[in-house]
Amino acid sequence: MDESTPQTPGCYTEHGVSGYGVAAELSRKEPMNEAFVREMAEKMMLSIARECMSLGAKCIGHIKSHLKTSAGTIKADTIGVAHGSYSTGGLSAPVDHIYIAINSIVQGIPEDAVKAATLEGMHEVANQRGLTVVKEKEHSYFDEFDFVASKQEYVEQLRQQLDADPDENEE
Amino acid sequence: MKITQIAGFLGCGKTTLLLKLSRALSDGGNRKIALVVNEIGEIPVDGKIMEESDMQVKDIGGGCICCEVASTFAKTIYRLYKDFKPDHVLVEPTGVAVPHQVKLAARMGGRDAKIEMGPAIVLFDATRPAELLDMDMLGQLVTTQVKDADVIAISKIDAVEPGAVEDASKRVRAYNADAEIVALSAFTDTGVDRLVETILDWKEAR
Repeated sequence: MDESTPQTPGCYTEHGVSGYGVAAELSRKEPMNEAFVREMAEKMMLSIARECMSLGAKCIGHIKSHLKTSAGTIKADTIGVAHGSYSTGGLSAPVDHIYIAINSIVQGIPEDAVKAATLEGMHEVANQRGLTVVKEKEHSYFDEFDFVASKQEYVEQLRQQLDADPDENEE
Repeated sequence: MKITQIAGFLGCGKTTLLLKLSRALSDGGNRKIALVVNEIGEIPVDGKIMEESDMQVKDIGGGCICCEVASTFAKTIYRLYKDFKPDHVLVEPTGVAVPHQVKLAARMGGRDAKIEMGPAIVLFDATRPAELLDMDMLGQLVTTQVKDADVIAISKIDAVEPGAVEDASKRVRAYNADAEIVALSAFTDTGVDRLVETILDWKEAR
């Protein structure tokens, strides 16, 4: 990504659009089944959208998430509270760990506000359901991961990324 | 190598459509397909979803391919041609990208590669037409995307009443008199075959 360093503001800045992304590891003592994880992910998307609007956003562009576990993947997203949220994917068994990536793209508030809303929404919904945010890292790319790796290998890759020096992921 | 972009504002269903089109265009492996995805917001969630589809995916981060990282996009196009030689490249720009600028950037990459441009397919979300065309909010951007379209796909028609599809079609027609308008649901597959035909048959006007 060395040649991708922006030299000028992006087109989206002209339209007041800001984005923020974060990756995190969540855990819970009691295993979580598919229905639990989907409901949590959908509520998280709506909570972030609501936080963004309360901070002055004009429009939710797209708030989306990808939740990877040892038993499968769930994806959830929303384009605004009034539109509800939607999830796909499934888990073959209950899990106690989740690796989540959230990307929030919103119009009308700066990136700092999108960040605050994203983190607040994620933590609030996780805490309400007894989950602990073990680690979190912003602006993390998963480019280097092999998505055809086995589920166990994949989870190990995610764990290593979250353990890595923060600077390594921002190069 | 034909380059087709699936553009449109955030959350309009680009990734879902792209995955459908890539499977249909590959024709059971008879054609080589590559996907290029670009997201703002730092975490390439769409890229991860695509990579799980086992397709050849190039993820471009660090900004928007229509402006900030256009040169990176051009290099990606050239590298794809050189290393993978796909029959089709499907490009998903950010939801705020301007299609004609994406075309220009792709042509930069095509100077040293044998490429042809496919259509700019622009999705327009039938569930929020008024919001998208509100000139105090996103209207300037969305109308530019619509004006640049070779094909406009009214998306998520499964989520609205039939009258809403007609309404959305009328609204976008006011900004683009020439583009074919296709009613699309990537969940029921409505319109997907038509878009595949269009991509396969598309000849760029010289």
